[in-house]
Amino acid sequence: MNEFVFWITPIAAVTAMVYAWIFYQEMSRQDQGSDIMQEIGAHVRRGAMAYLGQQYKVMFVVFAILTAVFWALAYQFDVQSTWLPYTFVCGGFFSALAGYFGMRTATQASTRTAAAARESLPNALRIAFRSGAVMGLVVVGLGLGNIAFWFILANMVIPGEAGDTQRMVLITTTILTFGMGASLQAMFARVGGGIFTKAADVGADLVGKVESGIPEDDPRNPAVIADNVGDNVGDVAGMGADLFESYCGAVLAASALGAAAYITQPALQMKAVVAPMAIAGIGVLLSIVGVYLVKTKEGADQKDLLESLARGINASAAMIVVAAALVLWLLGMPNLWGIWGAMVAGLVTGLIVGRSTEYYTSPSYSPTRQIANQAEGGAATTIIAGIGVGMLSTAIPVLAVGTGTLLAFLFASGFDVSQMNLGLYGIAIAAVGMLSTLGITLASDAYGPIADNAGGNAEMSGLGPEVRARTDALDALGNTTAATGKGFAIGSAALTALALIASYVEMIRIALIKSGVEMLELGHQLSVPTIEASLIDFMSYYQVTLLNPIVLVAILIGAMIAFTFSGLTVQAVGRAAVLMVEEVRRQFREDPGILKGTSQPDYERCVAISTVGAQREMILPALIAVAAPVIMGLVLGVAGVIGLLIGGLSSGFVLAVFLANSGGAWDNAKKYIEAGHHGGKNSRAHRAAVIGDTVGDPFKDTSGPSLNILIKLMSIVAIIMAGVTVTYSLI
Amino acid sequence: MSDKHLYLSLIPQALIASMLEPKDFGSYYAVGTQVHVQGESIFFEVDPEFRSPDFPFHLADERCMPKANGQPKNSVYLGIYHVLSRIPISALGNLYLVTNDGKTLTLTRGEYQPRVEPKLHLYQEFCPINPMVASRLEPRDFATSITDSTHPVHVPRIVFSELRLGDLAHDPKNGSVDDIPYSNITHLRDILQELQVREDKASKLVLKQVKEGVLYRMVEGGFYVGDQDDFAFYPYPSLADLEDQYRSWWRSAQLSALD
Repeated sequence: MNEFVFWITPIAAVTAMVYAWIFYQEMSRQDQGSDIMQEIGAHVRRGAMAYLGQQYKVMFVVFAILTAVFWALAYQFDVQSTWLPYTFVCGGFFSALAGYFGMRTATQASTRTAAAARESLPNALRIAFRSGAVMGLVVVGLGLGNIAFWFILANMVIPGEAGDTQRMVLITTTILTFGMGASLQAMFARVGGGIFTKAADVGADLVGKVESGIPEDDPRNPAVIADNVGDNVGDVAGMGADLFESYCGAVLAASALGAAAYITQPALQMKAVVAPMAIAGIGVLLSIVGVYLVKTKEGADQKDLLESLARGINASAAMIVVAAALVLWLLGMPNLWGIWGAMVAGLVTGLIVGRSTEYYTSPSYSPTRQIANQAEGGAATTIIAGIGVGMLSTAIPVLAVGTGTLLAFLFASGFDVSQMNLGLYGIAIAAVGMLSTLGITLASDAYGPIADNAGGNAEMSGLGPEVRARTDALDALGNTTAATGKGFAIGSAALTALALIASYVEMIRIALIKSGVEMLELGHQLSVPTIEASLIDFMSYYQVTLLNPIVLVAILIGAMIAFTFSGLTVQAVGRAAVLMVEEVRRQFREDPGILKGTSQPDYERCVAISTVGAQREMILPALIAVAAPVIMGLVLGVAGVIGLLIGGLSSGFVLAVFLANSGGAWDNAKKYIEAGHHGGKNSRAHRAAVIGDTVGDPFKDTSGPSLNILIKLMSIVAIIMAGVTVTYSLI
Repeated sequence: MSDKHLYLSLIPQALIASMLEPKDFGSYYAVGTQVHVQGESIFFEVDPEFRSPDFPFHLADERCMPKANGQPKNSVYLGIYHVLSRIPISALGNLYLVTNDGKTLTLTRGEYQPRVEPKLHLYQEFCPINPMVASRLEPRDFATSITDSTHPVHVPRIVFSELRLGDLAHDPKNGSVDDIPYSNITHLRDILQELQVREDKASKLVLKQVKEGVLYRMVEGGFYVGDQDDFAFYPYPSLADLEDQYRSWWRSAQLSALD
């Protein structure tokens, strides 16, 4: 490898894994607490592993079938990269492995966090956060490690001469297929996990709180362990897989677009390909530094705790901004400050989206307080207010991502809009910039369920009020990080999907060349060699224009799919929750000792029922996400696929923000009332807020996050099936 | 009848003989045996030696016997109508507060010391009727007043708790409502203001029926049972004690009003 800066990437990957191991070992050495604390922790751990085991079984079957299909497409029909069957399996395997490590660490850490909270808040925070960092570092470590490995391998295996710029396009688009496995695994983790977590939560609450009068986190509730497992399934494994996909997708798409942007400049092409990998690598190293800056003092309030987290994340971001300039300078990148500006635009966009999410969902600000105020009028006004806040909350993220995209485009293209390839490379670099702090931002996301479970463990173990006060403080912090984490995940998914859509055209180029189309006929007796055609040429060749009814129809269908997908996932939660409700009722009915506290419920059965229910319910939404771009490609061709992706991205992005923020705002409006406002607990306003929160649960934890996957998965499926589209399209 | 207990249930009103200890009885009464019966309840333990021709105590002796499988008899109903009025306060022992999921808190009698402040009070009555009433009278005077047969509105004996009014107890017009959960606060403010100025009216109805059940979160001071001749006070634990010593019951009690 001529570009020595590239080696930052594998070094960062290995360093991330080493530090993940160090943090894991550090957590393992901590006191596990009393026997009952360990018993409760063991229940959650067994449940989490049982969930993962069931999910991996289903995944194994699906991956086996799809690998066979991809193998046939590649080796029998010659319309697919021959690398795909292998990169596909690897992408899925390593994404699942990251989820396994994260879940295992989180479920072990919650018991130890509760045990540490008996003595000190700072120690409990350190254990919870560094355990969350295991997930963050494993995701970026495995992601970057795979990118480096496949890049080195492809560079060694794919034939070609030095200076053959087409070869580098082939290499980068080949390893882009790694995203398919990661994306499909993310679908299982995010959609299946999202359905599981809310089915368990709603089921536990409906029978426990409403029917039997059992408080939350009461060990007599058979669904309580499933509820705790669900927290990990959704916010550790689900979020991790989602961001693993975004991370790999953004870096790989940026490399592919870099190769395309500098196709006429062999000397610069490799630098453009390596730059996003190196920026991501620097981000990993500086995220580790940031993790060490997260600490607090005994008796810290919410403001102090938030500041301690922000110190770590902001310091990492600031250091990355400086270090990225150095890396680009070492690479000798042309338009250094333009590329750097694009990266900073992405990073700042991520921060703005996170802050916007916090503003619209935190009880410290007026939107959530307005919902709490409206709750005095009853459930209907609460729902209306929450929907209103959710809709309004879409403005800032959309404007931020829009502005960030435009700035990245302009910076990278040198403010020359005709330099389309360079501009799109800048957009992909912006996605990489936003995700460069992933090591630490994902740590703060995964920290949430650890703190939440620690609180549940303290409650079920009957620890003293001073311990619960500490775990409550950590849990409240986790609620805020969970909300901002969702915003970050949505924002990064949108930028990544944009980059992937841009990469789609490169895959079309490869597919056309492979199918023997050497020249693109652009009309008016004008034609250009396919290998040299610009993005504008491709748009012209496929008539990707808003005046083309195919594009318009496809945009509408894409927008519709986002809503259909959300509707299915919301309904799935209801159906899966009913299974849980029936099981809890059955256990109460058949063993009266459970409610009296004289016999133990069958926790494992509730976990199993929710797991099977979630896996069953995710089949249809997953099929839609995978089939839509394939069918669209076959029926309406490349123009239809691009329209579908644009429609899906634009409506999916906005809908995801709406769902996540309205759900988060309802949740915190309820908490605000419980803190003693508008009549506090048991008041009319509280009852209305509880209804709002229940409605918002599947919004914020199932459908909203699942849309991230939809928009990325549709893009990556379109990329993978580009060869099929070009060869077999009816139009 | 030494192995048998007598319980005076207030929600709903009944005199019950049982072989169960008070906490077991509370759990059974709220939860049932096979199918969960949702039932928040309040009951007194009655002196087991208490006898009255108003109730068929012979049924307790005949039927309150261990079952064939050796299990204790859960309940034998001795009366369900006008029960409180027919059992003197002197026969009442501890008071038990039972949540929906059967967790029981025991309150023992305490010495009653009337407070000078605040001037305004809010009471939740449990038996024989269950309205919410605002009053200028402190609890003992309120019990005496409401059981005075010369008043057109009276009952023979009453069980009630005092509810927290917060700032409204001193400043009904402008006082902050903070976390007071009562519905229609404006109506409550109006009534409290009216009581401040009307010398001829000591108490006024706020709600005909408290549908939310027992508002444990708002109980101030404790629970009271009184008539023209007698009065008993059952102090309620402080919030700190509820959080610390009675945590399990307290968590459950706060859910009770959520339906």
